[in-house]
Formats: sequence, C-alpha cells, structure tokens
Amino acid sequence: MIEVSQLTKYYGDYAAIRDVTFQVGRQQIVGFLGPNGAGKSTTMRILAGFLTASSGKAIVAGHDVLTDPLAARASIGYMPENCPLYPEMRVAEYLDFRAGLKGMHGADGRKRVEAAMERCWLSDVRRQLIGTLSKGYRQRVGLADTLLAEPPVLILDEPTSGLDPTQIIETRKLIRQLGERHTVLVSSHILSEVEMTCDRAVIIVGGQVAAQGKLAEMVPAGGRLEEFFLRLVEGNTAQTVHA
Amino acid sequence: MLASLAWLSLGIAFLVVTVLAVWGVWGARSLVRREFMSFFYSPIAYAVLVVFLGCQGFIFSGTLELLNATGPRGVEWPLQHGLSSPIFWLVFLAIPPLLTMRSFAEERASGTLEMLMTSPVRDWQIVLAKFTAALGFYLILWLPTLFYLPALLGIQVLQVHWVNQLGSILALLGGLLLLGGFLVGLVGRWQGEDFGLASVSASAVGLLALLGGQFMAWHETEHLIEATFQLDPAPVASTAVGLVLAGAMFLALGLFVSSLVRDQLVAAQVALALGLIFVAGSYAGSVAEGGLGYRLAYFLSVPLHFERAFTRGVLDISALTLYASVAAFCLYLTVRSLESRRWA
Repeated sequence: MIEVSQLTKYYGDYAAIRDVTFQVGRQQIVGFLGPNGAGKSTTMRILAGFLTASSGKAIVAGHDVLTDPLAARASIGYMPENCPLYPEMRVAEYLDFRAGLKGMHGADGRKRVEAAMERCWLSDVRRQLIGTLSKGYRQRVGLADTLLAEPPVLILDEPTSGLDPTQIIETRKLIRQLGERHTVLVSSHILSEVEMTCDRAVIIVGGQVAAQGKLAEMVPAGGRLEEFFLRLVEGNTAQTVHA
Repeated sequence: MLASLAWLSLGIAFLVVTVLAVWGVWGARSLVRREFMSFFYSPIAYAVLVVFLGCQGFIFSGTLELLNATGPRGVEWPLQHGLSSPIFWLVFLAIPPLLTMRSFAEERASGTLEMLMTSPVRDWQIVLAKFTAALGFYLILWLPTLFYLPALLGIQVLQVHWVNQLGSILALLGGLLLLGGFLVGLVGRWQGEDFGLASVSASAVGLLALLGGQFMAWHETEHLIEATFQLDPAPVASTAVGLVLAGAMFLALGLFVSSLVRDQLVAAQVALALGLIFVAGSYAGSVAEGGLGYRLAYFLSVPLHFERAFTRGVLDISALTLYASVAAFCLYLTVRSLESRRWA
C-alpha cells in the first residue's frame, strides 16, 4: 500500500532524510519509530503531500505522491503532529467542512460524518466548540477526520503525544480497531506503545532506515525492543562521531 | 482581421479561465463556506462592519445635506462627494488588510494549513476559495448602502401594471425562476437535502432570463414597472463595478501578503503599506496636471479613478484593467508562494 524508495529531503544543505526505503503491505499496522529529529515527520509529510521530496519516489495506494497528488491525497487519511484544528468551530461543523473538502457533500457527507463520529466516540460532543475540548477529544476529532473518506491508508503522526494514560490506552485501542480496515502507519518515539499496537515497525535513525520488519523477527531472540533500539541509536551516533 | 482574431482568442481564453475558476471554487465550496463563516467567528468582522457603516452613514448624511442645499452650494455627482473624500479612503484602505490578514498567516501559525494542503484539492482552489470568501464579505460590507440609493437617486415608482410583451413575460418567468431556485436551495439546506447545483443553475438561468427580458423590453413604449429617477442611475452602476474590482484588487494583495508571513499583524501592516501605492497618488495634490508624474499618479490611484470616472458614470476600462490584472497577478503569486512551501 505504501512504497517508499530512496526518498531524500534536504532543508537547505541539511538532509532530514536520506535514501529512505520501506514498504507497508495491505492492512498492516506499522510503527514508525525513531528518536526526535530522526525524520519521521518529514517522511510522513512527504507521504501526505504536504512536502515534496528532493529526490526519490513514494507511492501510496498505487498513486505517486509527486505526479498524481490529488489521487494520492484522496487515498490517505493524514493526522499531523499535535493535530491542528480550528478552535472556533464545533465538532460536527468541522467534520462537515472536512467532508466537503474531501468531496463528500449533502446527505452522503452527513452520513460519513455521523459514522466517523460514532467510530471515534465523539457523538456526545458534536455541538461542542473544538477549543473547549480536552486534548484527548481533540485527538479523536483529528482521527475522525482521517476516517471520513474511508481511505485505504492512514498516516498518523504521534497520535498519542500529550495524552494521559487512559487516553493513550483508548487511542491505542482505536488504532488497533482501525488496523482491521485500513493500512496504518503510525509514528511514535514511545517504544512500549509501538510494541503494543503494531505488528511491524520501521526504525529510522539520523534520517536513514536502520531496521524494518516484523517486530518479533527484528529483535534478536530473548532481547527487548528497547535494547535493540538503543543499540541502533548509539550505533548511529558512534558513526557520526567517526565521520 | 488580425485584431478581431486576437480579441476572439482573448475572449475564449478568458471564458475558459472563468469556467475553470468557477468549477474549482465549486469543488472547494465547503472551504468557501468555512472561510466566510470564520469572519463572523472573530470580532474583527463586526468591528469592520460597524466602522464601515458609520463611515458610510457619515458620508451619506453629508451628501444628503448637499443635495438639499439651496443657493450656490450643491453637488453635481452625489456619489462623488463620498467616494472622493480622504476620510473614506483612509477607512477603506484599512479594511481589506483586516479581512485578509488571517487567511494564511493564522493557518500557518496554528498548523491548520497542513491539514488544508494535504486535502485532495489543488493549491489554486484553496487560494480562490479564500479569495471568494473575502470578496463575499466585502460585498456584504457594501450591502447596507443599497438603502441609500432610493434617496440618492430620487427613485419614484410611478406604476406597476401588466404589459403583454415577450420581454415582460420572460422577465417575470426569469424572476420567478430566480426566486424559486433560491428558495429550493434554502429549503434543501434546511431539510438536509443537497439541491445545491440545481438551485444555483435555476437561479442563474432565471437571472439570465430576467436580464434578457429587461433587454428586450428596453425599446418598448410600455413597461412592466415604470419609475422615475431624478438623477442618472449610470454612475451607480459604474461605481458598483469599480468598487467590486477595486476591492478584489486590495483583497488579492492582502491575501498574497498573508501567504508570505506568519504573523497576522505584520500581514495587515504590509498589506496596508502596499495598498497605499494605489491610494497615495490622490494625496499628491501639488503634482502639475498633464505631466508624467500626474499621469502616473492618475494611473495608479484608485480614489482619483472614482473621482474622475466611476462616480460620474464613466466606466474607465484602463482602471478596471489595472484592478483586474493586479488582482489576478496577486492571486497567482499567492498560489506560487503556497506551492513554494512544499519545497522548503
């Protein structure tokens, strides 16, 4: 569903990601792991069509994000980091607006909005101003937005950041549910998170893919993801020191 | 031959661009609605409305006084009195930047632009939708001044009676279709059905029929509605055209500035400073008439266009071309500036 090959993005002279290559298959929940500043958000923004890569190729649901951007964006539900929303709008109103922007108007749009609110447990706050919602609810509004068009691919950038433990558990449950119908790429820097929600992971360190595959196979037998991850990160810093 | 061919191709290009733009805005109509409503979510809109209405009322009362004056005092072109006063243009200059300062700057600061730019709509659709919403609010600003018109023009309806002519039948049917389309759209929204396209097309056809009927009955001796104007209505029409296009120019300018910066206040100030280019010429009173400096000042300054042309019923095509091309250029730059963020 997601095919990324040799993706590179320069901000000026600084390469945020270099030759990133990975695949995500149909209906997998893949964790996108890496320390802060490793290039997770950059990669996701390129996939979602917000940024353009300096070089390389990214194909989402069969559409190249560079040459066929509208079709690619239409097949992605993207939630940016921190989930930006319009605080002055009401929940249902905001989702109506987003549905319209995704080409669903009138009765069809309203049906989709209802379904998305149902799935994200938002029905009881439909008339509330987004600005007055708690962080957890806001995150769910963002999730509901990604589900509106029933896209085959969901790209969620740190959906659990800033949530309290109960909200994290709820969100985790929700993402697990979503994996039954969608291909989900979810970024995080919290390892236990990824271990619990995802069956596969792509680990990105210093702008390059350090490891990818099934979590169970990736981590050496008997080892823990935490140790494995730390070794990857330390290896990277050692390399840069050498260079 | 060559000239007419050039005009024809220009006309066709214009038509194609217009159709494409309308189609694009229609595709992003939910963004137009949100942008339009967002004016009313913020107190700025109400402040602008009140200040503008106050300014208009002040000018109107001055004009009325002049119209009713006896003796040597008086006014030849009632609209000119208001639209050439420096007070009005000072207020006017500040309004488009206030309307457009938030459009991109705020979205960029709060990160919602990312949501917008990852939606399945083109960048130019986003820009046009925001522009349409701003223009819509700008027209609403002017709406209350319609109430001044009967007094300013001295309109008296003499009689309304049925005239059996093709023109009046067409006009009546068109009017009914227009009203019907509007009502269907309204009821549809209220009942939760989407008749948007049907309603809009019925209204458009109705409007066309209304205008066509009006045009056919133009040279008849008897008319559906007979009214007298104590003053020429042409200045009102030309002023309206001028105001819409001049507003479009200032709004497009503000939109472009807003797409460049992250801070609303900076956006408003820069847009105001740039807008000054198109207003300042009218304050340079000492420039000798006829010289190059004067010609340049006249070419650029909107208040002078209104003073010399639009409020006297003259449709100054060169001024309108300036407005339209500056607006189009600024919108184009806005799209490019938005696009360049993807490459940053």
